[in-house]
Amino acid sequence: MKNIKFEINGEWKQLEIQESWSLLYIIREVLGLTGTKCGCQDSCLDGGCGACVVIVDGEAKRSCRIKGCTLEGARVLTIEGVADGERLHPIQQAFIDAGAVQCGFCTPGMVMRAKALLDKNLSPTEEEVRQALSGHICRCGGFQKIVEAIILAAERMRGESDER
Amino acid sequence: MKGNEFREIGKRVPIRDAASKVTGRKIYVGDMKLPGMLYAKVLFSPKAHARIKSIDTSRAESLPGVRAVATYKNTPQTRFNSALRFIEHKIPNTERIFDDTVRFVGDRVAAVAADTMEIAKEAVKLIQVEYEDLPAMMTVEEAIKEDAYPIHEGGNIVGQAHVEAGDVDKALAECDYVFEDRFTTQPIHHAAVEPHVAIADWSYDDKLTIYSPSQNTFGFRVILSQIFGLPYNRIRLSAPAVGGAFGGKLEMTVEPVAAVLSKMTRRPVKLEYTRRECIFGTRVRHGSIAFIKTGFMKDGRIHAVDMKFYNDTGAYATSALNVSGAMSHKVFKAYKIENMRFHVNPVYTNTIIAGAMRGYGSPQAYFGLERQINKIANFLHMDPAWLQEINMVDPDSLDPCFHKPHGNPRPKDCLRRAKDLIHYEDICKEQEESKDGRYRIGVGVALGVHGNNCFGAHRDVTTLMLKMNEDGTCILYSGSHDMGNDNVGMQKQVVSEVLGIPLDKIDTVEADTDACLWHLGDYASRGTYVVGMAAKKAAESMKKELQKEASDLLEIDPEQVELYDDRAWDSTQEGRSVSIAEVMLHCQRDSMRELCCSETHPAPRGPSSYGVHIAKVRVDTETGKTKVLEYSAVQDVGRVINPLALEGQLAGAIHMGLGYGLLENITYDAEGNPQETCFKQYQLLSASDMPKLYMDFVAEGEGEPGGPYGAKSLGECPVVPCAPAVVNAICNAIGAEIDSLPANPEAVLHALGRTTD
Repeated sequence: MKNIKFEINGEWKQLEIQESWSLLYIIREVLGLTGTKCGCQDSCLDGGCGACVVIVDGEAKRSCRIKGCTLEGARVLTIEGVADGERLHPIQQAFIDAGAVQCGFCTPGMVMRAKALLDKNLSPTEEEVRQALSGHICRCGGFQKIVEAIILAAERMRGESDER
Repeated sequence: MKGNEFREIGKRVPIRDAASKVTGRKIYVGDMKLPGMLYAKVLFSPKAHARIKSIDTSRAESLPGVRAVATYKNTPQTRFNSALRFIEHKIPNTERIFDDTVRFVGDRVAAVAADTMEIAKEAVKLIQVEYEDLPAMMTVEEAIKEDAYPIHEGGNIVGQAHVEAGDVDKALAECDYVFEDRFTTQPIHHAAVEPHVAIADWSYDDKLTIYSPSQNTFGFRVILSQIFGLPYNRIRLSAPAVGGAFGGKLEMTVEPVAAVLSKMTRRPVKLEYTRRECIFGTRVRHGSIAFIKTGFMKDGRIHAVDMKFYNDTGAYATSALNVSGAMSHKVFKAYKIENMRFHVNPVYTNTIIAGAMRGYGSPQAYFGLERQINKIANFLHMDPAWLQEINMVDPDSLDPCFHKPHGNPRPKDCLRRAKDLIHYEDICKEQEESKDGRYRIGVGVALGVHGNNCFGAHRDVTTLMLKMNEDGTCILYSGSHDMGNDNVGMQKQVVSEVLGIPLDKIDTVEADTDACLWHLGDYASRGTYVVGMAAKKAAESMKKELQKEASDLLEIDPEQVELYDDRAWDSTQEGRSVSIAEVMLHCQRDSMRELCCSETHPAPRGPSSYGVHIAKVRVDTETGKTKVLEYSAVQDVGRVINPLALEGQLAGAIHMGLGYGLLENITYDAEGNPQETCFKQYQLLSASDMPKLYMDFVAEGEGEPGGPYGAKSLGECPVVPCAPAVVNAICNAIGAEIDSLPANPEAVLHALGRTTD
């Protein structure tokens, strides 16, 4: 067991973890934050579905590929930390409005990827958005509405489009 | 103020649980933990075909934390069919929870339930199995040989489906030309992002409760009752959420394993497959071999078609006969071809079980048919779109088998709109201009057809129930399993349209065998045409009750009451109304009645939905790589109930269909091991691979007779034309033929006469 201290959704946590635990395991099984999904478990070491993407120190990362023991001092944001209380984040609202949500299983990972992208670049081109989604699978909607949602969110966050 | 226009139908409505999903608060079965819950792990067969000589579970059992180990020795040996739909359904029973024989790499051998996932994984490794190899047949060709070892008693041909119209042999002899080709299609993985998972909870009161993302809770109840001998009141299935399905969650997979472990331990047991296990341990789309003979005249009219198929159903029967039966009818709906024969034999092989997948036989059937039509057009120096148009059914065409109207088929409208959207004439010029370069532009057209229910195959019935609350809101009880297509939201829109109660005042109880009335399951693209109509009937029944109650308050006849804008209106006097809340208060307080209505709707007929897709590709003749540049897809859906949902579903179908056409595939090594068992190996098209999409819907006139407001399915239909459209485009670009899916770079180079190093 190892003792680590890291920030999750704005709150510092001290945890006893096993060396083998992934960040995904810690998020879902230890902290009970089940918004982060897993579409491949232990079998897709290099491919992946992107459902488990969270933001670690500002970067979108697949939480299944991060060892918990490397997290000392890290700042982790999961889907549960994106909305501001009752108020949805503009990306979340744009996903709803653009029809980007279908079965919803890929959605948390997509929202986190979009947030990491827009936090750095509020004016991505469509191709940049598509590139950013390269490690994600959306089987219901073929990415189309998700791409539209991210572009809509960017417009709203730049103040160019009516925010609902 | 009441007009004739729709109030809710046609509105762009986000899926009703979108806010839960974007915040990660939607609870899927994999997110659930019950007190005392155990974790299960399955041991899968490493052999393609073998008898279990011995199985020793003692070391696994003695591992601390292991609560049960299940094998064929200590579990029910009842044979079942995981694709069973309803109580009197008769299809071959070839499966057991665990068997003494394994029939493919990935067959279930044993399972463990333990306190933690780690212990379960460890325990599975401690199970020692000795196998005696049996002959393994990895291909249909091997399996259908006279002397082939039978995978199941009765031989390797599961059965047949045969449908014939006109006089095919005579008509073929009359044709100016006859083309004959062999086409093959590959097995593919559904790739719903949510893995297969179930939590089974067998209580000491002998009630089995299962939570799983299923497409057919009521069907699973029948099968579990057969296996465990429980009456239906002792089995409850609930699908709290479904993270994508596409047919892959229509057949029972993990549920009986979790159930038997829960029975043994009397504790809740969760079994969740990894992606690898989902790929080999659930279902794939049937691979197929087709021999298609098409006779046509010099003017391009197709006079006769003779189709003979072998479907690779894998190691167990499951949907073998259902898919074959469905396939055998779908090909008769597309063209004005009087003479047509379709014959199919599903065949067992020692490969992953094939089962239901979006399209249900249509993608295989239409791949060959549409490819051959493209060849015919090229042979006759005719525009493929024009050849399509002169042969496509018209709205008044008759079905050649039954000599009855198809309904309101609109493939020609789809074709015209699809051509306009992609500027068809211009892209055909680009194809012509690029034909000598390294990079070739190609244009491909294809038609796809799919049904709207199971009419003609077996009973197709749905019953919905609607309950009013005393504040004027209501609850819809729907057996539907929403797989992300918002079929339940569509039902809400229909109810809202009829009752004038806003969408946010209608909630739902869904996919629960104890709470909802019997429902056939969500497959066969029956959601809109059948279930949508059941919603309309249930709402109309409730409307009568509300009119009756409102008529007391308004002191008019019930028929004079109109419902809209959340109020009951006096149609005889402008502006006079009471709110639905007031009506319900009166109903409960004064009439002392509760309002709860249910209506059963049997599908009245089996219409088809149509889609015409046009692909524009760029093929690199050096590398064989194809880039789909633009893609036009127009679908005949009768009436658009929710454009936002339809657009998302159509875009997803195009992604899935192009993946089928271009790269998705499951292959095997010599020992029968599947080679593509994770997303690194089993590749899907990425966001950047997707073309620019032009999508639209044809909803002409009154739409489809018998559908809610004329609506019929989108669902499966749009995956059907994608592969033939994109492969036709590639073939037209390179001037060579590809008759086997997928049309990956190797296939393109092979067609060009180049070998890959």
